[in-house]
Amino acid sequence: MICPDVERLIDAYSDDELDAAQATGVKAHVATCPTCHQRVAERAALRRLIRGVPYYAAPSRVRRAVVAIRRPARVTPRRLALAATVLLAVSVGTGAVVRTVRARQAATATLAQDVVASHVRALMGAHLFDVRSSDQHTVKPWFQGKLDFSPPVEDLAGLGFPLVGARVDAVGGRPVAALVYQRRQHTINVFIWPAADTVGALADARSFRGFQVRHWTRNAMALWAVSDLNDLELDQFVRALQP
Amino acid sequence: MPHLDAAFNYARWLTKSDADAEDVVQDAAVRALRFFSSLRNDDARAWLLTIVRNTWNARFSRVGSADEHMVLDDMKDDRPDGQLDAEALVIQRQTVERVQRAIETLPTDFREVIVLREIEGLSYKEIAAVAGIPIGTVMSRLARARERLLALLGPDLARGGIGDLS
Repeated sequence: MICPDVERLIDAYSDDELDAAQATGVKAHVATCPTCHQRVAERAALRRLIRGVPYYAAPSRVRRAVVAIRRPARVTPRRLALAATVLLAVSVGTGAVVRTVRARQAATATLAQDVVASHVRALMGAHLFDVRSSDQHTVKPWFQGKLDFSPPVEDLAGLGFPLVGARVDAVGGRPVAALVYQRRQHTINVFIWPAADTVGALADARSFRGFQVRHWTRNAMALWAVSDLNDLELDQFVRALQP
Repeated sequence: MPHLDAAFNYARWLTKSDADAEDVVQDAAVRALRFFSSLRNDDARAWLLTIVRNTWNARFSRVGSADEHMVLDDMKDDRPDGQLDAEALVIQRQTVERVQRAIETLPTDFREVIVLREIEGLSYKEIAAVAGIPIGTVMSRLARARERLLALLGPDLARGGIGDLS
């Protein structure tokens, strides 16, 4: 390499953004050329100077304001759902059956949105756990006194889905149990609350904004699983939870 | 929220004002929490910074920013007579101030690539995504921004000890 080539690549070289072959070429040239050596040295010195400038960390006021944002956002989908259901009931005049089915579909879709929103908020808000434990006998009693029901808690570590913790969350305005499972780098949130339905079958499977969502009921509990895991593995997980 | 510090730091350098940075970050956080459709775990920081940038862009007109061609006029060394330690501290503080001002006088397009690269340590690919420009443009802007900073900060660089290459 000659100086003009190196000059063109000097910033990418300093930033470690060249491929191995180019980087080797630049390095060899820099070792023998005082001018280009000087250019590399200047960039290193400039970087040190810039890193000496104080970092503008978020003030605690901003931190508090951002945490506060999470609360009212929970109310909105619920209100929308209510409005949608009312609108549906009014506009669909004929056939009580159609109306009921559609209303239920709308409610399911809204809940799916809600659980995905809760899943994302938990991951973004760094509030994934209230209790961090892989022991189902620690997690299950932990919910006592925090919820008016006792959710089923199972560790599935033996099947490759270790339980990592739990928290109390809110879906559609009601407090729910949230169990957190891990699969490699992927987090699975399982939301649980009492349901009138006792049917044990998978009631809903959809993908929403890139997240896989599964819904089923079991022993008078509604269960929702949400994850960015691929659908095959999430189905595996759901089957593991439904013996 | 993770990466809130990065969001604030970036907004502060873009706006050059604490109050404006606070507004931008809060707006951006609202957007981030509502419109999470493009959220991926691996690049959550770049994603959040992109939202910060879009929010700032929407809020503040970028036309005719007076700062773009400002000259560093009061860079003269006015160190007081005092003990040696105090003097060294003052010199160090003045250097930091000069570096800070030099970065602030860069045009916004140059300033943001410098901040994202040197302070946040983003890759070219991430910077391209945040600033919405091709990778080649990231490279050329960084090169030109550095040339300007080197010209502005020559004496400080000499004091900072050029030569120890790593």
